[in-house]
Amino acid sequence: MKFRCEECQETMEFVSNDTDRASGVMAIRYSCPNCGRRISMVTNPGETQLVSSLGVTIGHETLSEGEAGPMDQIRRSLEGETGWIDDRGLPDPVWTEAAEKRLAAAPAFVQGMVRRLYTDWARRNGYPEVSPAVMSKARDALGMSEM
Amino acid sequence: MESLPPVDVLGQVVAQRAAVARRLASVRHVVAIASGKGGVGKSLLTANLAAALGTEAAKVGVLDADIHGPSAALMLGARGQRPQFGPEGARPAIGVGDVRVMSMDLFLKDDGTAVRWRHYGGLAEDSFVWRGTLEANVLREFLADTEWGELDYLLIDMPPGADRFETLLRLLPELRGAVMITTPSEASMLVVRRASVGAKQAGARLLGLVENMAETAESGRVRELADAVGIPILASVPFDPKLAQSTENGRPGVLINPETPAARAILELADRLRGMLA
Repeated sequence: MKFRCEECQETMEFVSNDTDRASGVMAIRYSCPNCGRRISMVTNPGETQLVSSLGVTIGHETLSEGEAGPMDQIRRSLEGETGWIDDRGLPDPVWTEAAEKRLAAAPAFVQGMVRRLYTDWARRNGYPEVSPAVMSKARDALGMSEM
Repeated sequence: MESLPPVDVLGQVVAQRAAVARRLASVRHVVAIASGKGGVGKSLLTANLAAALGTEAAKVGVLDADIHGPSAALMLGARGQRPQFGPEGARPAIGVGDVRVMSMDLFLKDDGTAVRWRHYGGLAEDSFVWRGTLEANVLREFLADTEWGELDYLLIDMPPGADRFETLLRLLPELRGAVMITTPSEASMLVVRRASVGAKQAGARLLGLVENMAETAESGRVRELADAVGIPILASVPFDPKLAQSTENGRPGVLINPETPAARAILELADRLRGMLA
């Protein structure tokens, strides 16, 4: 979208993007490079939200939440308490030999899934390694059957 | 008021599409499993088909595009896992058979949490436009922001309704095809016929039709439907309550009881798709 100064037949140039974080009202200012005439395009909170639902940064939405990351739109848009945990930076625990042996006893088609469940649980609960004892604790906490 | 940088909405949307293409460059085949009609067993079939495709050492992912009724994580035993966010994207859940799963279910706190979007600040009567855009964008994020890795097949479990097909095709012009699912009921066949015609008009390549919950012999009416739409019948999967129960417990029936007629039909469907997509 562009704005043209009808008198000068010039494309108006962007001057500033002013936004009110609290209300979601955004005003984008343009001026004619020839005659200096100024206009503002003002969006109400709903219009601002509609455009930002495209997942684009238009001012207050993304900037107010910090740096954009994966699934940013989903995380910003879901209401209430959600189940995801941002555990970026937490290292993956190491699997002990005994834990690997116990995992190997599970049917092959569930081993990947079970490994992921135990690894996630151990990481989030601060265990540096997955041992049979940690597996038992995780199993109790997750309500899993014997594995 | 504070001053912020200029807005380049178009540039950002173009970059989003490029991000989808980059992410899916490591996926050999993307196939949508669709119907148009709810309750035809689409998710159950998707979970079993994913498990069946994985039995030949293929790497398989399932994207649950049913934002308000997600069930892929349940059927692939991937509940309880959460997406993990890293610099390269969100790690998907790992289901049985090592199927990678991304679903809205993984984002919700518990069974009693519904998908609810934050309050829309505009006119209530306009909110459906905002919601539609938002939900299309959720699909884009599932595609682009999930660390799918190298996959042989990515199955997209489509929600009921034909409208999401156009969204998917806009995001994925290289979509290899769609498998349409129907039951032998008149209502299902009517809806699926219209959804199939709509999908074709939108530019989708329909690989074929699967008759789910089939009676013992292939229904003549389903054959008429396939002929009318101009697509082959890929499989007739008989109704099997044990396969359904096992799958709903997170153990796709094709892995637990592969010798049942329903499991065999799904395994043959997987073989047929492998051949069609090779």
